[in-house]
Amino acid sequence: MNAVYALVGLLAFSAVSAEVCYNEVSMECGQASNSLALPSCNAIYGSFGRQGNVANELQAYANLYLHRSYEYLLSAAYYNNYQTNRDGFHKLFKKLSDESWEKTIDIIKHVTKRGGVMDFSARSTQSTGAKNSTIELQELESLAHALDTQKEIAERAFFIHQEATRNNHKTHDPEIAQYLEEEFIEGQAKTVRDLAGYTADLKQFITANEGKDLSLGLYLFDEYLQKVV
Amino acid sequence: MKTFFPIIVLLAVFSSAFGTQCNVTPVNIPKQWVTMSHGCRSSVRQQIQMEVAASIQYLAMGAFFSRDNVNRPGFAKLFFDASSEERGHALKLIEYLLMRGELTTDVSSLITIRPPERRHWASGVEALEEALKLETEVTKAIKNVIIKCEHDNNSQGHDTNDYHLVDYLTGEFLEEQYKGQRDLAGKASTLKKMMERHSALGEFIFDKKLLGIDI
Ligand SMILES: [Fe+2]
Repeated sequence: MNAVYALVGLLAFSAVSAEVCYNEVSMECGQASNSLALPSCNAIYGSFGRQGNVANELQAYANLYLHRSYEYLLSAAYYNNYQTNRDGFHKLFKKLSDESWEKTIDIIKHVTKRGGVMDFSARSTQSTGAKNSTIELQELESLAHALDTQKEIAERAFFIHQEATRNNHKTHDPEIAQYLEEEFIEGQAKTVRDLAGYTADLKQFITANEGKDLSLGLYLFDEYLQKVV
Repeated sequence: MKTFFPIIVLLAVFSSAFGTQCNVTPVNIPKQWVTMSHGCRSSVRQQIQMEVAASIQYLAMGAFFSRDNVNRPGFAKLFFDASSEERGHALKLIEYLLMRGELTTDVSSLITIRPPERRHWASGVEALEEALKLETEVTKAIKNVIIKCEHDNNSQGHDTNDYHLVDYLTGEFLEEQYKGQRDLAGKASTLKKMMERHSALGEFIFDKKLLGIDI
């Protein structure tokens, strides 16, 4: 029996849209047994979960968002303590955290939509390893960190997209490519641009007037963030 | 070029120690109003970590019931929603600490993300019962925070009672725990009764009920 499954599995691997699920149903229903295994009757099609690493990369992407979500939550907390007391920075990081949390759940759902099994330990081949990033940063540093991490997230989407597009025929998966384009890539460009813009403004406030505008500049900029975030 | 790099690192180390042109020198504000005791504070911090761990455990349950060969979207929704709720609990406790003048330091170490312990459940009933068990542990942990914050030695060595936090945890958190536990226990009972003779159909129908579909 196992040999039959192995054969069916092999066929599933090599054949393109063969009637593998139907064949299993025909074969297993004809046997007197109380169980139906039907291993090929799943949601996996195309290259997802076979060769290449689109499936693993997508799971790693959920994990990246999960980590960033809680990291941004801590940054939001830090800017809401009575000493930093920057409501605008708090709001900025809280929004990044909330968005990342929603994306985490959305990617997990998408992994399973394509017949994948979510692995919370999955790491990207692009991952640079765990960095001991501190949360307690001053204003411009925290914007810089937000910008860097958002770029990492955006570039990761590009990488998975590249794996999923025909640039790599072994992993070609237009469904994943369009999912990334629609749900991630467009919004990420705006987030990165906004953060870069904030950094540019704050940079000018800090250096203008030989640095004498610093404390009022930071105060005003925080008030501004409260309005626009 | 390579010789520049250590200099840049050195500069970075020095700049954070002495303040830079980019930040305002920290100011001193009276701290007498910051009155949470050490033991109470650290037990709340642990509780925050526990809520985060619960949020990730529920994520794993949501992921499992979303699988193509499990196909229980109602259960998946229940657990994904529970996951976001747990994150909300962590957030509420963080906001409480901030109100009391905490989290000016040691913010980075507050939360650690670990992969969930379990990724597989044999049935919807088993998952509901595990969720109930998880909530029971959380309830017990909250009670322990309450006990700690009701009697703790403050920095002067006096026994202190953090009345407000104790009231907040007792009134809001425990109430939500008990309601949540009752809800899970009720769901588990209904499902278990449906499963007794019609396991496949029972779980299917219950799952659609969780989605709000009457069939
Ligand atoms: Fe909770």
